[in-house]
Amino acid sequence: MKISGSYAIPAPPERAYQLLQDPDVLAKCMPGTDHLEKVGPDEYEMKMKMAIASIGGLFAGKVRLADQRPPEHFKLIVEGNGKIGFIKGEGLLNLVPQGDATEVKYDGDVQVGGTIAGVGQRLLDATAKMIIKKFFEKLSEAATG
Amino acid sequence: MIAQNFDYASPANLQEALELLGGENVKVLAGGMSLIPLMKLRLASPEQVVDIGRIHGLNTIREEKGTLRIGATTTHYQVESSPLVRSQCPLLAEAASHIGDIQVRNLGTIGGSIAHADPAADYPASLLALEAKVVLMSAKTQREVPIAEFFVDTFTTALQPGEIVREVIVPVEDHSTGTSYQKMVHPASGFAIVGVAARVRKSGGKIAMARVGVTGLSGKPYRATGVEKALEGSAGSPSDLQKAAAEVAAGVDANSDLHASAGYRQHLARIYALRALTIALSRTA
Repeated sequence: MKISGSYAIPAPPERAYQLLQDPDVLAKCMPGTDHLEKVGPDEYEMKMKMAIASIGGLFAGKVRLADQRPPEHFKLIVEGNGKIGFIKGEGLLNLVPQGDATEVKYDGDVQVGGTIAGVGQRLLDATAKMIIKKFFEKLSEAATG
Repeated sequence: MIAQNFDYASPANLQEALELLGGENVKVLAGGMSLIPLMKLRLASPEQVVDIGRIHGLNTIREEKGTLRIGATTTHYQVESSPLVRSQCPLLAEAASHIGDIQVRNLGTIGGSIAHADPAADYPASLLALEAKVVLMSAKTQREVPIAEFFVDTFTTALQPGEIVREVIVPVEDHSTGTSYQKMVHPASGFAIVGVAARVRKSGGKIAMARVGVTGLSGKPYRATGVEKALEGSAGSPSDLQKAAAEVAAGVDANSDLHASAGYRQHLARIYALRALTIALSRTA
């Protein structure tokens, strides 16, 4: 599944970039995640508790940051496993200054498998968009707070 | 597959049900047309299920002060076949008749459907076009929420923890109003790939009122206000309708999946908006 879009963060690129690289901020912004555990350089382990509609499940996974070119570009690599399925994906994030704000452009490819993909195909796109939107909303809060 | 073990309660009244909702990991069971499959696949594993199906007074349709009040556990079939709904709010009856298949319509409920907030469900398009209201109830209070504020996002509603949908309020339709719900049905699931509900009223040869609700196109159902504005004040000629319908997907982030790409969905939305508007207009008095 391809995922792309953009979101405006009310902070200059340097600040937005710094927020996106901060494990504490990332943990706070990812729905259902409360902690990222550093396991290597730019590599973190996470536990995510998904709760969307009636669907709920625990995911354990890894987040890795690569190809960093502050303050304009990096790559985000995510993989997670849970009882209800797995997720594996890579995304490129580009930060473009826009006055006092930053437009974060994302472009990624995500594979979803297991039960959730088998029966939830119809809903993956809408659900992924909602999770991304929630993430950036929280990130905007962090940028202004 | 078999669901994980859970506690089951079937309270006899609403107050008892609301008290049970205070616990951790509780789900309300209405018709079970979405929850039970999710539980069997273990995508949902609530510890407690509160079945509201036996609560007296939740399964009712009544007319009150220019509105119809439809209880949460009223099934789609009851809405579709009710003489009251068919005569006083035909759009809702028409939408109900399009849901899933007859087995789903016999068990699935209006409250369960909107609380689940599937982005491709049929009811939301019509409820938005009807400017319906939802009555939400918790152990302490009761509140009325306009339907446009009730649907927050994909599978996300204004329901707070401990709250339940009690009833849905729709207006009694003015008999000069024409309405229609048209959908591109996904043949396996019965859900709408795109669904458009239209309400139109004419006055003095011009369209005085237009309301258009859209489901299936994006992450949440919405009112296509661009279409409404383009129509109101126009004569409602075929080219007026076509111009207005072209606005239906403007500014909307369309969903894309293996059944329909975003571009195809937007195209379908324009086609089905035109169909719904044309039929609605032909039904105006």
